[in-house]
Amino acid sequence: MGQHVKVQELPGIGTRYDLAAGRVPQHVSVVVHKDGHREIYAFESSTEEPTSVIELTADQARLLGAVLSGSYVVD
Amino acid sequence: MPSLPGVDVVGSIFGFPVNELMAVGLLLLVAGLLARGGRRLGLPTIPFFMAAGILLGPSTPGPSVLDDPADLELLAAFGLVLLLFNLGVEFPLEQVRASGSRLLGAAVAYIGLNVSGGIGLGLLLGWGTAEALVIGGALGISSSAIVTKLLIELRRLTNAETPLILGIIVVEDLFLALYLSLLSPVLGDAASALELVTDIAVSFAFLLLLVVVARFGGRAVAALLGSREQELLTILALGLVLLVAGTSEELGVSDAIGALMIGLVVSRSSVRERVEQVTIPLRDAFAALFFVAFGLSIDVGALGAVVVPALLAVCLTFVLNITAGVVAARMYGLNQRAAANIGLTLLGRGEFSLILATLALGAGLDERVGPLVALYVLILAVVSPLAAANARYLARYLPDVLFSGSFQYVREETTSATCSHLDMIRTETPNTDQGCEECLVEGTTWVHLRLCTTCGHVGCCDDSERKHATDHAWADEHPIVASLEPGERWRWCYLDEHLLPDDAARGRGAPEGV
Repeated sequence: MGQHVKVQELPGIGTRYDLAAGRVPQHVSVVVHKDGHREIYAFESSTEEPTSVIELTADQARLLGAVLSGSYVVD
Repeated sequence: MPSLPGVDVVGSIFGFPVNELMAVGLLLLVAGLLARGGRRLGLPTIPFFMAAGILLGPSTPGPSVLDDPADLELLAAFGLVLLLFNLGVEFPLEQVRASGSRLLGAAVAYIGLNVSGGIGLGLLLGWGTAEALVIGGALGISSSAIVTKLLIELRRLTNAETPLILGIIVVEDLFLALYLSLLSPVLGDAASALELVTDIAVSFAFLLLLVVVARFGGRAVAALLGSREQELLTILALGLVLLVAGTSEELGVSDAIGALMIGLVVSRSSVRERVEQVTIPLRDAFAALFFVAFGLSIDVGALGAVVVPALLAVCLTFVLNITAGVVAARMYGLNQRAAANIGLTLLGRGEFSLILATLALGAGLDERVGPLVALYVLILAVVSPLAAANARYLARYLPDVLFSGSFQYVREETTSATCSHLDMIRTETPNTDQGCEECLVEGTTWVHLRLCTTCGHVGCCDDSERKHATDHAWADEHPIVASLEPGERWRWCYLDEHLLPDDAARGRGAPEGV
């Protein structure tokens, strides 16, 4: 991972993206489902289970993406 | 009052007459409500649809909303056809082709074990060869729908073994098409061996024809179906599917294969996504009716006679799934935990088992096949999600010798996360073959040896008195150690607390010559 995003196809489900986030060993994985909804798997440690899994609709994901990338502007 | 079509009285509920529309409505409503209750407990939907059919059917005490299950035949057939059509449309052909021979090997191991075990059990029951083949398929092929949902619910989408599990169910879908092509002539009324061989040849030739159409006919299909209006696209797609499925049936190939293959054709065309979109709601509704109709056809009185075979089948499936899980994990260099997850997640049986049983009943095979498969699917529906959720307990009991990397220390660790320090792997050569560098100086002894993959330092393991490997890793910030024990190939990242299967570390290790 490091600077990279690891991409993996999940046949029948969608695509999974892994990236480092926060301090090691924290990281997140994003699963983009075929129907457009997203799941964010957040890991605080590398223990067996994700710390939390957040489900986003396609619209919510777009909004969150805009907020994260700094392109969301309140008018 | 003038009577409309579709309102003939077909059953009764507590003495009140139930007409056809009411019957279908009640069946769907009860099926949906039961399934919703089951979903709250994390159970799959398909068995509840079937249970609704059994409960409201003629063979159980209480209401019988449809005295003659045959009244639902056409709607149920739509369900079967649409199920297989969508399977074809969604089939990730490219991914299967790209996934390579190792996945194929793992899938063949899974399918081979389970189907041959099922056929074996079928033969042992002595109901007949055709029956044994049906039972083999019904026991051997996991339900894509159930397995996929289970993985999402158990939050295992990022686990290392998950792509492998998903790959196996994809190959199972493909296998189903081949198995149906083999089975439908066998289920037909061939009088002689020669006729049977001819039927099988015709069946496969038809399959081949559709594959060729799928390869080159995408454009024609897109032209036929392509309409900017959703309404027309829906109608044209449904018409095409039903026509191809029905024609296949007339040609002696089952309607199921026809539907699957035309789905594959559509999946290669430019209208794929839009067709998928419009046919999924249709599939869901009619497939539920198909499962309900299957339940209706089950005589509850006959379930008692198949309890022992059904329990045997469930046990057999457990044993073979765990075996296949170990084989697959071994091929992929995964550990005990992954093996348990693979075997126990793939336990779910559903739509394919019921489709095969329906084909068997339609062909007039031994009537016990229906109740057997129904009971088998019902038991696994309850047991398999529980088993999958608790796979970690099984992992403890899987012996190390079965696994290629010999994961003695990390057998119960999941391999869910990916390690972010693979760039720190710079060497595979130990600095010394004498033993733990510090112990040699201090004159202490060690239990096992670990290699620092960054600098080649050799230290002793955490079971040793001095734990030099761990000390070195933290002191020099070299995060990844590899086992130096003969036969062991695992690596461990201290920072990520993460087990690296052999191949994960190897593929992205040090550039050559470093």
